[in-house]
Amino acid sequence: MTEVPFPMMSEEEPDAEGVVGTWFVNHGETVAAGQVIAEVQVDKVSQDVEAPVGGVMYQLVAEGVGVRQGDPVARID
Amino acid sequence: MTSTETPTRRITTAKAMAEGIALEMRRDPAVFVMGEDVGAYGGIFGSTTDLFAEFGADRVIDTPISETGFIGAGIGAAVEGLRPVVELMFIDFYGVCMDQITNHMAKIHYESGGNVTVPMVLMAATGGGYSDAAQHSQCLWGTFAHLPGIKVVVPSNPYDAKGLMISAIQDDNPVLYLFHKGAQGLVWMEKNPRSIAHVPEESFTVPIGQAAIARQGTDVTIVTLSLSVQHSLDVAEQLVGEGISVEVIDLRSLVPLDTETVLTSVAKTGRVLVVDEDYRSFGLTGEIAAVIAEHDPTMLKKPFRRLAVPDVPIPYARVLEQAVLPTRDKITDHVKELMS
Repeated sequence: MTEVPFPMMSEEEPDAEGVVGTWFVNHGETVAAGQVIAEVQVDKVSQDVEAPVGGVMYQLVAEGVGVRQGDPVARID
Repeated sequence: MTSTETPTRRITTAKAMAEGIALEMRRDPAVFVMGEDVGAYGGIFGSTTDLFAEFGADRVIDTPISETGFIGAGIGAAVEGLRPVVELMFIDFYGVCMDQITNHMAKIHYESGGNVTVPMVLMAATGGGYSDAAQHSQCLWGTFAHLPGIKVVVPSNPYDAKGLMISAIQDDNPVLYLFHKGAQGLVWMEKNPRSIAHVPEESFTVPIGQAAIARQGTDVTIVTLSLSVQHSLDVAEQLVGEGISVEVIDLRSLVPLDTETVLTSVAKTGRVLVVDEDYRSFGLTGEIAAVIAEHDPTMLKKPFRRLAVPDVPIPYARVLEQAVLPTRDKITDHVKELMS
C-alpha cells in the first residue's frame, strides 16, 4: 500500500491548506506509475500529482475539500 | 494488489488543446504560437499549457496587448508560409482587431484569386456563467460564421478539442477555434465532469464540418454546441427517467455547417430544440430553423423551438446572468413543452 501525499507547494507556509481541484482517476480504478491522477491547488497555483506506483487507486478526499500539504489524498494498493 | 485492467488516461479540454498544438509543433517546424500570456503562463484558460517549456520563446511568443498588431503579424507569417496559432484572449476583444480578422485573414485568399493561402488558427475563449460581465462573457460565434472566408469550429469536450485543433492547424484556410471557458476543465471554475475525459495520447483528427451525434434518441432532437452540449447531455440523462428520449447533436463546426446530420435527426424525431449560448436574433437558432424550413417543414410534428440568450448584454450579477443563459432547467422545460 502506498499513500500519495498532497505535494508541498508552499514552502514558506508548511501548514497551508489546498484542495484537490480535479480527480482524473475514479475511486477504485487502476493506474500506471507516473500517470497524472489529480490536479491540486494552493491559493491560485495548481500542480499535477502523479501516481508514484501502479495499482488500484482509492481517493481519500473529495474534490474541493480543504487538505493540508503533506496529508494523504490517495492510496494505491 | 496488482490489476490487469488498463489505466484510463483522462485529461481536461484545456490540456487536450495544448496537446494537439504540441503534436503539430513537433511534426511541423512552421507551426508556432503567439498571443497574450501564452508563454510561461500557459494561456489564461490553459490552452497553451507547458508549450513554452518544450518549445521556448522563439515558437511560443508572448505579445503586448495589441490584438491588431499580433493578429496582423500572424496573418503576415501565414501568407509567408508559417502556420501560426494565435490566441485572442477573449472573443469579446474582437472589436479592436476586426479589420485584421474579417478584411485580411478572411479575404486574402479570395482577393488573391486563390494564389495566397492563410493557414492560420485564431483561437479565442468564449462564453459566460462565471460573472465576468458583458465584455468577457459573449459567445459571438454567429457573428463570425456569418462573415465569409473563415472556418469556425467550436469543440465541447476534450477529444474534439484535440482532434479539431490538429485539423485546424493542418487546414490551409483560416480557422477560428472558439473554446468555452466553462468547458476547459479548469480547477478554478465550476466544471462539468464532461470536461475531463479519455483522450488518446497519439495524434488524431476530428474532421471540420462534421457534427457528432453526442447521444442517440427518438423523441426530441437538441441541436447545440460548446458548453450547451454538456448541459443538454445532462438533461437528456435526467429525462430518461420521465420516458423522454432525447437525441443531442453537437454541431462542432459552424462553418462548414453539417446540415445533413441535423436534417436526418429532425426527420427521425420530428421535434427540434436549438440551444445556443449566443444571442438569439439573427444567429444560429434562426439559421437552423431556415435549414429545416428550406428542406421540408413538414418533418416537424411540433413547431420549431429555440433557446438562446435574449438580446441583452450578459449581466454581471449571478442571478441575472443565469436568467439569460441556456441553463439545464430551461433546456428541460423546452424539451417537456415539445413533448406535451
